[in-house]
Amino acid sequence: MKTISLRLIVAVLLAGIGLTALVIASTYDIGSARRMGPGYFPVVLSAVLVLLAVAEGVTAFMKRAPESSSSKIDWRPLLAILGAVAGFAVTIALFGLIPAFFVVIGLATLSEPRYGWKPAAILAIITCIGAWLLFSQLLGMTLPLFRLGF
Amino acid sequence: MIENILLGFATAFTPENLAYCFLGVFLGTFIGVLPGLGSLAAISMLLPLTFYLEPTTALIMLGGIYYGGEYGGSIASILLNLPGTPSAAVTCLDGNPMAKQGRAGVALFITAIASFVGGSVGIVALMGFGPSIARLGLGFSPADYFALMLLGLVAAVTVGGGSVIKGLIMVVLGLLLGTVGTDVTTGDFRYTFDFLELRDGVSLVAMAMGVFGVSEVISSITGSKTRKISEKVTARSMMPTRQDLRKIFGPMARGSTIGGFLGALPGAGTVIAAFMAYATEIRLAKDKTRFGKGAIEGIAAPESANNAAAQTAFIPTLTIGIPGSATMSIMLGALMIHGISPGPLLISDHPTVFWGLIASFWIGNLFLLVLNIPLIGLWVRVLQFPYKYIYPVVIALICIGVFSMRTSVFDVSLVVIFGALGYLFQRTGYSPAPLILGFVLGPMLEENLRRAMLMARGDPMRLISDPLTGSLLAISALMLVWAVFGGIRSLIAARRKGRVFRHRRGLRCWPLPPG
Repeated sequence: MKTISLRLIVAVLLAGIGLTALVIASTYDIGSARRMGPGYFPVVLSAVLVLLAVAEGVTAFMKRAPESSSSKIDWRPLLAILGAVAGFAVTIALFGLIPAFFVVIGLATLSEPRYGWKPAAILAIITCIGAWLLFSQLLGMTLPLFRLGF
Repeated sequence: MIENILLGFATAFTPENLAYCFLGVFLGTFIGVLPGLGSLAAISMLLPLTFYLEPTTALIMLGGIYYGGEYGGSIASILLNLPGTPSAAVTCLDGNPMAKQGRAGVALFITAIASFVGGSVGIVALMGFGPSIARLGLGFSPADYFALMLLGLVAAVTVGGGSVIKGLIMVVLGLLLGTVGTDVTTGDFRYTFDFLELRDGVSLVAMAMGVFGVSEVISSITGSKTRKISEKVTARSMMPTRQDLRKIFGPMARGSTIGGFLGALPGAGTVIAAFMAYATEIRLAKDKTRFGKGAIEGIAAPESANNAAAQTAFIPTLTIGIPGSATMSIMLGALMIHGISPGPLLISDHPTVFWGLIASFWIGNLFLLVLNIPLIGLWVRVLQFPYKYIYPVVIALICIGVFSMRTSVFDVSLVVIFGALGYLFQRTGYSPAPLILGFVLGPMLEENLRRAMLMARGDPMRLISDPLTGSLLAISALMLVWAVFGGIRSLIAARRKGRVFRHRRGLRCWPLPPG
C-alpha cells in the first residue's frame, strides 16, 4: 500500500510557504540590481525556496521510502504540548501568571495517559513558587501574578 | 596584550561576575544533562534571565551556560548512551562502554580534564588570533562580508553531512524569516501582516525555543522511558590510574589542536571537530580494535576537540561578527540585544566585554572542573529523575522565558507555530540549526549585498572580479557543487544496490577511516 509520506507533505508545505512569500513580496518595490528595493531580496529568496522545496518533493515522491517509525507523528504529545503553550498565552493575557502556570502544566501532563492530577498539581505549585522567587524576588521583574482583564 | 589580559581578569574577577559565571556553568550543566536539551536550548531558555544584567556580566553568564551545557551533554552520553548534544555523540562510542565496565567515574573525570585542556587551548588561540583577525576584518568591503556570510551558510549546510537540499531549504527559510519586519534601508514593512509585534521582526528566542526546545520535548516524551544507571558514581571512583593519565596526554594535545583549528572555521563546529579527533586517534593507534570498547583515548581526544572548538567558535563571532553555528548566532543575538554591535570594532570599542569574556571562559572552565567532581552525584540523580516530572516544568519555563522578553503574548503564540514546524522538520530529517543561522545572518547578508551592489553599480561581475570576494564566492560555489554531486552519486549507488538509503539516527554521515 502506498501512502503519502510525511516527507512529501512537509515539502509541499514548504513550497506553499515559499509561494505565499513570493506572492506577497511581488507587491513590494523590487528596485534594480543597483538600488535594490525592499522586495528584491525576499523575491529571490522565496523563488529559491519554492525551487528547492519542489526538488525535495520530487525526490521524496520518487523514493517512496517505507514509513520508518521515526517519521511518524505522535499526535498526543504534540497536541498536548502545543496546546499547553497556547493555553499559557491565552491565560496569561486574561488571568495572569499563576493561573497560566497551572494551565500550561496541566495541559502538558496530558501528553501521557494516566499521568494523574496530583503530581501535576504539585509540579504546578512548585513551579509557581520557583518562578515567583526567581523572577519577582531575585530579578525584580514586574509580572502580572493575577489579573482580570478582558 | 598583557594589559588587555589583565583588564580581562580584573573584569571577570569582580564578585558579581564570578557569581554569574558560576551560576551559568551550573545551570548550563543542569540543562545539558536533561535528555534532548543541549547547550543551544540552555542558552535560549536562560537568555531572558540575563536581560537585567550588565552586558559583560550577561555574556559571561551565557558563556558559562554554553560550555556547561556541552559538559552536561557528555555526562548524559557516558552514563546513558544518550547524547544530550550532537557533539557528545562521539563520546558515547567509548564513554558508554567504559561505564558498562564500571569505569564511569574515570570516564567522567577524563572528560572534565580533556574539556579543560581543550578549552584552554581554544582560549589561547582566541586571545592570540582574535585581535589580528579583527584588524583584518576592518579592511573588508561590504562585498567581502556578503561573500564571507554566504560561505558560512554554505559551509553550515554542506560540511555537517546529512541532506544538502534540506539544509539549503532551512537556510533559505531562515533568511526569509529574517526579512520579516521593518526594512532597514527604506523603512518599509515586510511580511508584518498588520501585526504591530512583527515590525521589530520575529523574536529570535521564540523561534529558537520553538524549533529546538518545544519540538525536542515533544519527541523525548515518547522516546526513552526507561533510564537506569546501574552504577554508583562517587567522587572517589573518578580517580584515574597513573597509566590512564599517561595515555591521554597525546590524544588531548592532538584533539585540542584539531578542535581549535576547526572551531574557527565557519560551519565546521564542535561536531566535526569531535569526529575528526576521534578518527585521527583510530588512525594513529597501534591496536585499532580497542576503540568502541572503552578506549580512554576515544574520550580524551573528542572531548578536548569539541571544547577547543567551542572556544575558537567565538573567533569569527566576536572579531568579525559572523557566527559559524546556531549557538553562536544566539550569542550574537544576545550581544545585539544588549546594545553591542558585533563586528571588527567590537574589541577596540568594548575591550571589557571581549577580554572580560575571555578571562571568564578560563574561570568558567576551571569551575567546570572543580564543580563536577563533588557534584557528580547530583548530576547522576538529575539523570535518574523521571522525565515525566521534568518536561511540564521545562515547557512552563519556556513559556515564561519567551513571555518575559517583551511581555508579549504574541511571542508565546509564535512558539506554538515554530514548535509545530520544528517537530515536523525533526521528524522528516531537517536540521533546525541552519534555520537559526540563516535567520540571524539574513539582515546582515541583505544589507551588505545591497551596499555591495550599489558600489558595484549593479554589475555582479564587479563583485566576482575582486580577488577576495571572488575567491570566497568561488569556494562557496565549489562546496555546493561538490556536495550536490556527492548526493547524486550516493543516490545512484543506492539505487543500483536496489535499496533505498534510509535516514539513520545517531552516528552517520562521517566516514571513519578503514581499519
